[in-house]
Order: sequence, then C-alpha cells, then structure tokens
Amino acid sequence: MLVVARWTVLEARRRKLLLAGVVLSIAFVVVFALAFTLLYHNQQRGLQTGEAQMGGPGGALAPRETLLLMSTILVVLGLYGVQFLAALLALFLGVASVSPEVDSGTLHAVLARPLSRLEYLLGRFLALAGMLIGYVVVMSGALLLTARIVAGYQAGDTTRVVGLMILQVLVLLAVSLLGSTVLPTLANGIVMLALFGLVWLGGIVQFIGTIPPGNDLMANLGTAVSLLLPADAVWRGASYHLMPPSLLVASSLAGQGNIELPFASTAPMAPAMLAWALAYPAACIGLAVAAFRRRDL
Amino acid sequence: MWRTASAERDASIAGTGPPVPAIATSSLHKAFGRRVALHDLTLQVGAGEVFGFLGPNGAGKTTAMKILLGLVHPSGGQALLFGRPPTEPAVRHRVGYLPEHFRFQEWATGAELLDFHGRLSGLGRAERAERIPEVLERVGLAGRGGERVRRYSKGMTQRLGLALAILHRPDLVLLDEPTSALDPVGRRDVRGLVRELAAAGVTVFLNSHLLTEVEVVCDRVAIVSQGRVVAGGPLDDLAGAATQLRLLLDRVDADLLELVGRHGEVARVDGTAVTLDVDSLDVAADLATVLVGSGYRLYGLVPVQRSLEDVFVDLVGEVRER
Repeated sequence: MLVVARWTVLEARRRKLLLAGVVLSIAFVVVFALAFTLLYHNQQRGLQTGEAQMGGPGGALAPRETLLLMSTILVVLGLYGVQFLAALLALFLGVASVSPEVDSGTLHAVLARPLSRLEYLLGRFLALAGMLIGYVVVMSGALLLTARIVAGYQAGDTTRVVGLMILQVLVLLAVSLLGSTVLPTLANGIVMLALFGLVWLGGIVQFIGTIPPGNDLMANLGTAVSLLLPADAVWRGASYHLMPPSLLVASSLAGQGNIELPFASTAPMAPAMLAWALAYPAACIGLAVAAFRRRDL
Repeated sequence: MWRTASAERDASIAGTGPPVPAIATSSLHKAFGRRVALHDLTLQVGAGEVFGFLGPNGAGKTTAMKILLGLVHPSGGQALLFGRPPTEPAVRHRVGYLPEHFRFQEWATGAELLDFHGRLSGLGRAERAERIPEVLERVGLAGRGGERVRRYSKGMTQRLGLALAILHRPDLVLLDEPTSALDPVGRRDVRGLVRELAAAGVTVFLNSHLLTEVEVVCDRVAIVSQGRVVAGGPLDDLAGAATQLRLLLDRVDADLLELVGRHGEVARVDGTAVTLDVDSLDVAADLATVLVGSGYRLYGLVPVQRSLEDVFVDLVGEVRER
C-alpha cells in the first residue's frame, strides 16, 4: 500500500503536477496578499477621514466593525477561492487515479504482483489525499496568516476551518475515485463536474431558501443535494468557523442576524450533516473497493 | 541463478505427496456479456514444464492468462496456481507476467519501474540493487535503465517487460505473446531466455500465435480456437499424429484411386502425384507391392511429416467452418 502511495507521489512529481501546483499556489497567495493589503489600507484611510461609510440597511456600523466586516468578506472570498481550487484539484486527481491506468493497460503488470486491489486503491487514495491536505493546509494557512498580519484578523476557530476544508477535499477525492473505478475517464470527469456544479447550485438554492421569509422547499432541496455530495455543505460549515465571534455578535446586535454572503454561512453545520460528511469518504472508498474487486481488467 | 526459496522448499517436501501442478484449471468458462471468450478450459501444467498455448488472435488465450493472474474473474470453473486461487495475492509472489500489450508507466525510467515492481514483490533494498542491473543486462538493456520508458522503442519496452517478469526469480512465468514487437535477433534472445528458465526448473506458460516460437521451445502445447482447446499434448505426438504418404506414379486413374483408397484417404491429387492420409507409415510397404503388382510404375513413395503449422491450420480451419 505504501509502495503504491510512494509511486503515486513520484508520478505527480514526474508529471509536473506538484511543480504546477506550487507555482500557481504561490501566485494565488501573492495576489491575495496584495489585494487584501491594498483594500484594507484604503478602507482604513477612508474611515479615518470619514469619507466612507459602510453598513447594512439597518444602520451604520462602527468603523471598527466595518473594517472587521470587510476583512471577513475578503477572507471568506479568498478561502472560497482556495476551496474551489482544491475541490477541482481533488476531482481531477480522483478522476485520473484509476481509470487511465485501466484504459492504458499499465495496471495489468502492477496487479499481477502480490498486491490486493484494496491495497492498490488505498495506496492511491492515501497519496492523493496527502498531497491535497498539504495543499489545503499551506494555502489556507497562508491566507489566514496574511489577514492576521495585515488586519489582526482572528478567525473563530482556525482548526475547524482547516479541518472542514480538508474534509471537503477528501469527500470529493473519494467520490471521484469511486467514479474512476467504475467509469471510463472521460465519462467520470463529466459526471463529477456535473455533480460538483449541481452541488454548488444546491448550496445557492438552499441559501436563497433561508432568506426571510424563508422557503422550506428550496431549503430541503439544498439539503437533498448536499446528501448526494456533502461538499458545499462542508465548506459552508468551514466558513462559519471563519467568522470572528465578535462579528457574529455585532451583526446580530445590529439586527441583521445574517451577513448574507451567498458563499458562506453564519450558522454552524448541522451535526447530522457533519456526521454524514465524515462517513462519506469511507463509504465511497468501501464501494470503490467492492466494485473494483469484481471488475475484469 | 533462478532458484527461489519457495522452490527449494517445495523440492524438499516433494516426497511427502503428489507434486502440486504449477497451473491447474478445471472447466474454466468466461463470457463477456453474450460473447463467450473461453468455453471449457481444463488443463494442467506441471512444475518445470514449458507449455505453449497456441491459437489465432481472439481465441481466448489472453483471457485465460488473465484469469490465471486474478485479473479477470471466470464465469465458471476454477483456476489454481500451485494449488492456490490466483486471487490470493500471496501466491503471486511466485509468478512473473509479461502482459500482451506491455504498457508501463511512461513517465518513469526503466530502473524506477523495476524498483517499484521489486518493492511490490517484496524484494529488499540490497536484493533490488543487485537484481535490477542483472535483469536489465539479461534482456539486453544494460545501461538503459536510466531512460524514461517514453523514450524506449517498442522492442525495448517488451524487453523491459521480460525483465519485470523475471525480476523476483519467480517459479512460474506467464508470457503473453513475448516476441510480438521483437526482430529476429530479439526473438532468438527470448527463446534463449525461455530455455534458461526451463533449465533452472522454472515453469513457463507461453501464449503465442507464432508456431515456430512454440515449436522450438515448448515441451507440450494446447491449441485453442474460439475459446475451446481443439488439440493438446506433447509436441511430437501432435505433429506426428496424422501422417501422409506422397506417391509419384506414371499415371493416375479411377482404378488407382480405388486401390490406394483401401490403404488410406486421398488428400490431394496433382497430376500424377497422389497425397494419401494414412494412420501409420507401415502401410507403405504393402502399398508398393500392390501398386507394382497391378501394373502401375512407382517412381517415388515418400512419407510426409506434417508440421505443427499444418496441424494448426487444419484444426483452426475446422473450427471456423463449424
């Protein structure tokens, strides 16, 4: 299993996947840091000279809260970008994990070795998961650190933010790996992207459903889609922990109760959904192993 | 050079019971949807034998081999390697395999690929360091291990596949069309390798549609066509089973055909030459006496040993006509 994992990492290095990932990630972090710093200082100056006022329809917030709100929005958007990239990466890696080796026939010689199909799949999953986790930790860490240094921004619970973002990539990697054991590469890629798009849309529908006066049908529809693939739901759970507690308190005091970002949530993740999301990768891998064992190569 | 610990262990306990065949299949059947790839394959290959599995393209040879490796699941019947089902990973320690299409990860170098497969087969670091240059040298790739597989020619890739198949000193080597990409020199190298393996007591199971290849190296063959074994046995029996006599005469007429028909079956008449299928060459003497006694002049009476190719074409042709 570890032999396969090592081999998978070597493959990623050889195919310049790691290099491309690192270069693009550095570019992303640099752009974020620049944009964040510029916007923050701009806003700070504006507030000091009293030219800019920011606040919801319920009334203006104090300058300190306004700055905090702006930082939060920027951090949420930045991490939204990270999770989006990580999600796509997880899908691509998962889609390319098994079926191309089956299609090209390179797997014949490998599985003729004393290696069970379970060990092969777990080795692949471990290596890809390890690389994705590294990516999520480094990227979200870099963004949060930037926000902290520039604006003194303190997320509600950094560990849970990163933990849930990791859970999201594991969910996506596991489901695309499952697809990769039963579908040809191209078909799996199409199915996974469609599923990912559907879940994203489901999140938006659910968000709209929760805007007062609320729409139960839309909210339930969103939940149903999240059960199919709890990726967006887990991100929303992560985004809740991203909010500084003081902001949540302030915004509810200001009578809004909701920051109303379509990509984030101000409510924690439902425990049942969290449990489902935690069980989801294991279930996908279990199904993948069962399907792959029966398959003729 | 090829002996393995497990082979020695087997040899030491050989006296305690009947020897376990390297390969044993019983009523192996495989259907892909409605297409039947393998009908009812029952065969045994003893330890140390070189066995040729012969047949035209699409006869089911590769399917049979993949079942023996646990890559394909049979729809019916059973396959055993050294008495164990091939789906058990442990038994595959003793098996080396060259796949038909010999496709390997192209981004890796030859040596990296050998290292990966060595690790999968449980070879330690020191063993791999010793064995990898050795097998590269053996298949004629000495000094080329550092190059990416992508840059290898087809022939080199197949040689690399052979190196992978013998890397871990297996007791059984399954070769699926091992010379399909090789030039005549390469083919001779492979024959040499198979003989070397056989001399070391390694069982070789060879899939091929190239008859000369099989004829030269195999002890026993099975001819398979459309998923069925149509003939099998030691090579000499198979090629010698049906024999022909070629008669050269001054004239051929109906009386003559009637006369020779009593001693065999007329296969062909070309001008004044008659080719006769006979059960045994012993009829030649009688035939000569009878023909001369009946007033025919006999210029020649020659036994024709049928080649494996003739047997093959006849058998495969018969199945196709059905």
